[in-house]
Amino acid sequence: QDIDDVGHKYYLELELEDVLDKGRTVHCTAEVLYPLGSKSSAPDVQVAVQGELRSTEEADKEFYNRIRSLEKELVAENIPDSHGNVPPELEPIHLLAWAASGYVTWQNSTENTKFHLAQVKHVKQVKRPDEDLQFDYLLLLHEMVSQEVIPWEVTVLWHPRSGARVPRDRRQPSH
Amino acid sequence: ANMKLIFIFSALIGASLCLETFVGHQVLRIKTKNEEEVKQLQLLESLEHLELDFWINPSAPALPVDVRIPAVSVQSVKAFLESQGIEYSILIEDLQDVLDKEKQEMAESAQRQRSSSSFDFGAYHTLDEINNELDNLVSFHSFVEKIQIGESYEKRPMYVLKFSTGRSNRPAIWLDAGIHSREWVTQASALWIANKIASDYGTDPSITSLLDKMDLFLLPVANPDGFVYTHTSNRMWRKTRSKIPGSICVGVDPNRNWDAGFGGPGASNKPCSDSYHGPSANSEVEVKSVVDFIKNHGNFKAFLTLHSYSQLLMYPYGYKCTRPDDYAELESLGRAAANSIRSLYGTTFQVGTICKTIYQASGGSIDWSYDNGIKYSFAFELRDTGRYGFLLPANQIIPAAKETWLGLKKIMEHVRD
Repeated sequence: QDIDDVGHKYYLELELEDVLDKGRTVHCTAEVLYPLGSKSSAPDVQVAVQGELRSTEEADKEFYNRIRSLEKELVAENIPDSHGNVPPELEPIHLLAWAASGYVTWQNSTENTKFHLAQVKHVKQVKRPDEDLQFDYLLLLHEMVSQEVIPWEVTVLWHPRSGARVPRDRRQPSH
Repeated sequence: ANMKLIFIFSALIGASLCLETFVGHQVLRIKTKNEEEVKQLQLLESLEHLELDFWINPSAPALPVDVRIPAVSVQSVKAFLESQGIEYSILIEDLQDVLDKEKQEMAESAQRQRSSSSFDFGAYHTLDEINNELDNLVSFHSFVEKIQIGESYEKRPMYVLKFSTGRSNRPAIWLDAGIHSREWVTQASALWIANKIASDYGTDPSITSLLDKMDLFLLPVANPDGFVYTHTSNRMWRKTRSKIPGSICVGVDPNRNWDAGFGGPGASNKPCSDSYHGPSANSEVEVKSVVDFIKNHGNFKAFLTLHSYSQLLMYPYGYKCTRPDDYAELESLGRAAANSIRSLYGTTFQVGTICKTIYQASGGSIDWSYDNGIKYSFAFELRDTGRYGFLLPANQIIPAAKETWLGLKKIMEHVRD
C-alpha cells in the first residue's frame, strides 16, 4: 500500500515455525511500513501472533545457570563451522546470535535488502556485575541483493525473564 | 599407498604358497580310456620324486585326471603318457602366469573397492580430493572422459567431465557448479551427480536413454581459485581471485562477467564489491574458457548452472525484467522440474525469471547462453533458505544432490525428446 508522503506499507500473513519444535506452526500477521526517503530510519513493524509459542522456561534456566557457572568467560568462533557443524553446547549461543541478527536486520532493512545471518565469526562472553548475561558477537550478515557478507559487531544482553536486548551494534567495512 | 598394498598382497600370497614359484609348471587333463590306464596313473602318483600334484586323483576311467607337474618333470611325464597311448590335454601352459594375473586382479579389485567406497559424497572436500575423484570416475567408466577447457587466473586447470556414449558432437547438455566458490553444496552435489550418472548408465532407463542420444559436459568447480580460497582463507569468498588494476581489492563476480547486458543494473562497478562485474565482459579467464568451449562445440541444447542458497529454479532474463520468447515453455518446464524436486523430500523451489524471482542482475551466465541460442537455460539455487545458508551441514549434501538431480533429469528428458 502506497501511503502518500509517508511510505510503503506491507500486510503480511506468516506461518511461524519454531526450529526446536518442528511439525507445528503458529499463524501470525504483520504490518511493515517502510518510511519514504530516509535511509536511517528502521521500518515500523506491528506483529500479532495468533496462538501460543512454546514455553522455553526450562531450557532458558538451564542455559543461564550453565553460563553463569563458567569459571572462564565463554569464547567461541565460526558457528557454524565451514562444514555447517554446530557443537550442541554452542547451539544456544547460535540461536541467541540469530535473534540478535533479527534485531540488526530490522534496524537496517529497506525494501531493497534481504539479510540472513551467515555465520557467528566470533563470540566472547563478558561477565557482568548485574543479572544479565553479556555476549559480544562478531556476526557475518549476508545481504542477498548486493551479495555482500558484512561483519557486524553486536553486543547482546540476555536474561531468562527479560529476553534478549541489543544495546550496541556496529557495522564494519566489508573489505 | 597403492604400491604398498600391492607389495603386502604379493607378500601374503607368497606366504600362502610357501614363497614357491610355479614358473614352467603345467597342469594336464588326462582322459583315461580303461582301468589299465587308471592303474598306470596311480603308479605315476606313487613316484614321489616327481612331486606330482594331482588336482583330481585317478580313480575311475570315466573321470578326468588333473595333475600339476613341476617344470623339470613336464617333458618326462608327457613322454611317458604318449608311450602308453594315454590321451591328455594342456589345461594350463604356465601356472605362474595364471597366478601372476590373479594377483594383479586381486590388487586391482581391492583398489577398486577402496576407491569407490572411499570417496564420501556426503562430506565436503578440497579441490585436490575432488580432482582425484574425477580421475577415479574416468578410470572406472569408459564413457567418461576428463577434458581441460582452460586454466584459472592462478593457473589451476579447469576440468570438465564429458559423458559420451557415441558419435562425435552429439547434441549436448552443459552443467556447472561452484561458479561462486562459497556455495559449497553445489560442487559437492555436482560430484554426487557425476557419480550417479556414471554408475547408473546401463541400468537406469532414463540415464541410459539420455546418454544414448546426447552428451553431457559437467564442470564441477567453475571457480577453482575461489574454491581454494574458501578453504585456506575466507569461507565466505564468492568471486574469482584476479588482481584488479588500480585497486587493492581482488576478484570479479564471475556471474556478472558474461556478455549479456554486461555492466547493466544489478552488477557493481566497484572492484571491492562482491558483485563487481569486472573491467569488461569475459575478462575473467574462468568465464572465457567456458564461453570458448561452448562456442567451439556449437551443439549445446541446454545450459544448467548450480548456485546456493534460496531454493529457486530460474530461467532468463536477469539483465532485463522482460520475459524471454520461450517464456511459456520454460515456465512450464521449470514448474515440472520443481515438482520433481519436491516429490523427494518436500523441498520447495520457487520458479520464475531471474529478475522476478531473485533480483535484476546483469552479466549472468544463463542470459548469455539463452541469447546465444541455447534455449534450455536454467539456474538453480539449492538448499537452504537461510537457516544455514552457505554453511549447509554436510549431512544435507546427499539429500540436496538427490532432489536437485530429479529436477535436472526432468529438464534433460525434455531436451532429449
